[in-house]
Amino acid sequence: MRKPRTLTSTALAAGAVMVLAACGGNPTSSSEGSNGDAASGPTGAEQLYEEVGELSGQERRDRLVELAAEEDGLNLYTSMNADMVDAVTEAFTEAFDIDVSTYRAGSETVLQRILQEQDAGFAGNDVVETNATELMALQQEDVMAQCASPERIAEVPEAGVYDDWVATRFNLFAPSWNVNIINDPPKVWEDLADPKYDGQLALELGDYDWYMALTNYWLEEGKSQEEVDQLWADIVDGAKVVKGHTVMAELMSAGQYGLASSNYTYIVEAAMADGAPLETQPYINPIIARPNGGSCMKTAQNPATAMLFMDWLLEEGQAVLADQAATPSTVQIESELIPVDGQLLLDEGSEWSQRYDDLLSGVETIGG
Amino acid sequence: MTANLADPAVTPEELTRPSDGPPERSKARWRGPLTPKMFIVAGVAAAIGYLALVPLGYLVWGTFFDAEGLDLGSFERAYGDGRMGELWGNSLAFAGGSALLSITVGTTLAYLNVRTAVPFKALFFAASIVPLVIPGILYTVSWIFLASPEIGLLNAFFEPILGGAPFNIFTIWGMIWVEGLHSSPIVFLLMVAAFRSMDPSLEESALMSGATRLQALRKVTLPLVRPALLSSVLVILITSLESFEVPALLGLQNGIYVFTSRIYFVLRSYPQDLGAAGALAVSLLAVAVIGVAVSRLLAGKGSKTYQTVTGKGFRPRPMDLGKWKPVVGVGILFYFFVTVLGPLLVLLYAALLPYYQAPSWEALSSFTLDNFVQVVEMDSAARALRNSLILGLSAATIVMALMAVASWISIRSTIPGRGIVEQLSFVPLVIPGIVLGLSISFVYLRFPLPIYGTLLILLIAYCTKYMPYGMRYATTSMTQISSELEESAMVSGASWWTTFRRVLLPLLSPGITAGFIYILVVSFRELSSSILLYSPGNEVLSILIWEQFENGSFNVLAAIGVLMVVALMVMVTIAYKLGAKVGLRED
Amino acid sequence: MLRIHNLIKSFAGEKSRGKKKDEAGHSAVFAVNDVSFEVKEGELFTLLGPSGCGKTTTLRSIAGLEKPDSGTIAVGDRVMFSSTGSGRSVNLPANQRGLGMVFQSYAIWPHMTVFDNVAFPLQVRPRGQRPAKKEISERVERVLATMQLSEQSGRQATKLSGGQQQRLALARALVIEPPLLLLDEPLSNLDAKLRESLRYELKRLQRELGITSVYVTHDQVEALALSTQIAVMERGAVVQLGKPREVYEQPANKFVAEFIGTSNFIPGTVASQQAGRHCVETSNGTLFLESAHHMPVGSEVVVSIRPEAVELSTVSRGEQAANEWTGEVVARAFLGDAVDHVVSVGQHEVRARVNPSVSIESGTPVYLQLDPSKISLVPVN
Repeated sequence: MRKPRTLTSTALAAGAVMVLAACGGNPTSSSEGSNGDAASGPTGAEQLYEEVGELSGQERRDRLVELAAEEDGLNLYTSMNADMVDAVTEAFTEAFDIDVSTYRAGSETVLQRILQEQDAGFAGNDVVETNATELMALQQEDVMAQCASPERIAEVPEAGVYDDWVATRFNLFAPSWNVNIINDPPKVWEDLADPKYDGQLALELGDYDWYMALTNYWLEEGKSQEEVDQLWADIVDGAKVVKGHTVMAELMSAGQYGLASSNYTYIVEAAMADGAPLETQPYINPIIARPNGGSCMKTAQNPATAMLFMDWLLEEGQAVLADQAATPSTVQIESELIPVDGQLLLDEGSEWSQRYDDLLSGVETIGG
Repeated sequence: MTANLADPAVTPEELTRPSDGPPERSKARWRGPLTPKMFIVAGVAAAIGYLALVPLGYLVWGTFFDAEGLDLGSFERAYGDGRMGELWGNSLAFAGGSALLSITVGTTLAYLNVRTAVPFKALFFAASIVPLVIPGILYTVSWIFLASPEIGLLNAFFEPILGGAPFNIFTIWGMIWVEGLHSSPIVFLLMVAAFRSMDPSLEESALMSGATRLQALRKVTLPLVRPALLSSVLVILITSLESFEVPALLGLQNGIYVFTSRIYFVLRSYPQDLGAAGALAVSLLAVAVIGVAVSRLLAGKGSKTYQTVTGKGFRPRPMDLGKWKPVVGVGILFYFFVTVLGPLLVLLYAALLPYYQAPSWEALSSFTLDNFVQVVEMDSAARALRNSLILGLSAATIVMALMAVASWISIRSTIPGRGIVEQLSFVPLVIPGIVLGLSISFVYLRFPLPIYGTLLILLIAYCTKYMPYGMRYATTSMTQISSELEESAMVSGASWWTTFRRVLLPLLSPGITAGFIYILVVSFRELSSSILLYSPGNEVLSILIWEQFENGSFNVLAAIGVLMVVALMVMVTIAYKLGAKVGLRED
Repeated sequence: MLRIHNLIKSFAGEKSRGKKKDEAGHSAVFAVNDVSFEVKEGELFTLLGPSGCGKTTTLRSIAGLEKPDSGTIAVGDRVMFSSTGSGRSVNLPANQRGLGMVFQSYAIWPHMTVFDNVAFPLQVRPRGQRPAKKEISERVERVLATMQLSEQSGRQATKLSGGQQQRLALARALVIEPPLLLLDEPLSNLDAKLRESLRYELKRLQRELGITSVYVTHDQVEALALSTQIAVMERGAVVQLGKPREVYEQPANKFVAEFIGTSNFIPGTVASQQAGRHCVETSNGTLFLESAHHMPVGSEVVVSIRPEAVELSTVSRGEQAANEWTGEVVARAFLGDAVDHVVSVGQHEVRARVNPSVSIESGTPVYLQLDPSKISLVPVN
């Protein structure tokens, strides 16, 4: 007798909260987002971007420094790792004597946070620096404004320039291996399907962007869908699955497997710097590159500082990024770069994620 | 009367009223609807309702509605996977196995610790909690280093003897082993509280009746602590159903997929499919609601039956183990070595190396303290530690204070709808951490007070997240306390609040202390909602750990892990000592 | 029947606690310090003393719930425990001693019915010795009938009243027909009236069943009413062992005299002594008394005068009357079956409990007449 009543009242109470939530719009249908703001005309920040955007060269830099001096530091949301962001902000502060407060999280979290804040009309950050997928999402939400100097943007390869944001660095996906176990590393991606790597190859659970880029690359190269499917089946056959790129490198150093299909080169290089018996060069050809970029927020409270930061990151900052084993977006790389298509990721990401998941879970049980 | 001066429930008129004055009128007012009891009860119920319903409402709204209206497509997206049967099968086997293991281990350890004169008692209590302190990812990876067929140290050790690698951590058994051990401290703490509040003469009288120890345990002790056992089973089942670290690191190698991997995938893509995540969480919610109802039903089947704290004085005297003492001693040492020292040593070993390598002279010669130096020199380390401490202590205090009252409402009061309080307090258990974070930021971004961007928002998240555990600890103790004790205090003229504070709270202290320790410790590891809600300057320790992980500095991470274990052991010891002091008795 | 010899038990892990308790400075780390006594067949033997005196530890050692450091415990010809520090030691576990025990809290299992509680000791016997189901139920019903609990047989144990719970605990202890019954303060949880009626009930049952019992209590009235023998314990040692009357009338020391009943203590010096007849010089006058303790002339003593040993009268017995003091009534209290008077004598206040027919107003000068056979000498340490 009491049970149903309990459930009913729980439901009623839940209903009450839903009604409350309804006043704020559906919390999960964030796509309408801040369109309201956009319709009501350009923000102060946008006006400033436009005004300074007409300047160039030293004149632009001087004007920004002058304006930034009246602002209150910089709020940066980024998914750069801690070492990198520390180096970048330190160098920026040193150059301009501007304090940077940084919110650091995974790229999905950075996106969620910005969406939540924008939705509530809370201007938390001036600049966002994160992965392509999330930047494409933010571009779709129309909350960013391209603010970097056109001269600098011109230095970035076409694959890194988008409407509202520009690539600042590339994350390179390349095979890496334990030199004590593997002595003939793969030269081209098709080599991963070679049975000689069975039992030694590890794939990462979340690398569906790599999977998407490589599949499309093969298809564009002229392979048939069947051939590509077969390649993937052969790669997955005899492979292990790991979660997390750090664990991937760590277990490989320890000898759990010899070859990682798609680790970030910077993680492997950091491990190598500590003396781990890993190697990632000679790079496979082509390298899959996922652009990471940045942009200014339309709601920035410190728009001049934001602009200054983006200019700087694409100029002097590039060397700082290079020091951190990142691949700066304005520097030419010898290997061919196949960029992960940000727009495609946004549009088809969940399908590719599902397909990659299905592919991996078809992994046959391998003997221990 | 002097003690009452500190009593916030005493109104000014109560204080100024001459003690010999006519009590009739004020007494009537005392009993009226606006008593402190009313305020406290209503306040606590409202707080719990608020904490629980914010994320639940957010989740339910996102699950069933989209911009246009009612939409059940999320269920199709969540469950429209051909392998759903297999996923559930794996999940249930994994959760069931882990629950069985952790219940067995946790209960055994708790029993030995509380009721017997077990050797190495201090070491033992600490050892039983260590797995709780080590972050899941570190604990799991250290087990890979111990028992992987390729690089496992244990395998390397046994291989020459047995002619093959005896252990394989990458199996469902390995997953159960690691998850079971990692969650056994939850059971341990719950059961320690339960055994502590049980009159040992109930057991001794069974022995005097000629029952063997095993018979006494099976026929008397275990039936008497059934509410605590049920609580543990429920909590462990749901946490293991939700756990993803262990299945991801151990199961995926061999393609063992679990139910939560769906949650992981739906939350990973953009736009985040909260609807599908919610649809998945709904089944967990169903499990939880049914579980709470069943455990209420089972425990309620003569709720008086289980009141083992009865006011009739008893001295807990540890039972002499007799000839079993060496056996138990060896068993405990074995447990300690295998589940605590092994993983800890691996962590320490990893922390001393620049990168992980199998033990060799070469490895030993590359030992370095660099990782520790790096941790100590980290600018944010001290600040993060401070923030974590503040948050952990406040969350533990607030949650246990709320839950002490809530357990009274749920178990003792006759207030209509009291069952809801318990059900509500359970809700956060089934809400994925990221959803919790999103819902909280959704609310406080629109809140007139500046809570967003401060430590306070993290505190709210922690209180929400750990409410279910606090409630389990509190209710388990509350069911054991005889209502006569409370009634006798009331009859003695104590107000409800005084009774609660002076009589019930001390009696509840074993459970409260256990819950406090649990929340304090696990709040140090909380990441999924912290990472969304923290703001620059408000970093907590778990964020620091996450950053090291992202950097690929696994060995620095191990160093942080080692330091955390040491720091938390000290805190647990202090909390435990204080708890014992506040409590009725020490041992 | 029960023989305890040189029983010693120290609190190894609780030294600090033991020391803390003992503020007198004695290093009382011994819970039980060299205790020996014997209980004869059919006796009700009481261990009496204040809390922390070691009586419960002694009882629990007999039960097997506590392991003494050394000593011997034997029931009949069965040695339950023996450890003399040299050679083989015996320590039967509690569940093999076959004794019955009633706990202070009764330890009624709340998850069982009355019947199940009583049947438990029979049900858990090893397979070979376990009675058949039918026999179990017969024996349980029989014990329940003896305890007047037949009607409650199917009820949940926690639904019983306090007195019924106590009888249930007794039934459970007796169902195996143990050679020895151990009772740990079984009446302390009951209200005064129930306690009194159950006290006689217990005595009746013990006599009827003829069961040898060891009874632990801190309540001297209970001990005096029930026991065949009393051992008064203090700080882990037995300070006096004897029949209730002996302990009451001839306390071995001030502690016993003080602990057992109320008493007036008057210091004095022995003036002469002959075959137990003492003449003691006190500040209030000379006292003649008989005592088993033969005290030498000139020794300092304390005279213990029970309130009921004092007769009050407004009239003197005359000059030659022995043991007569003069004083003045300070206060009185009507107790129903007696009247208590407080009389000031010199610098002392003496309590007198007299027949209700005698009631003397405050301020009245009175004569106190002391019965020589009812006053005793207590050695000063």
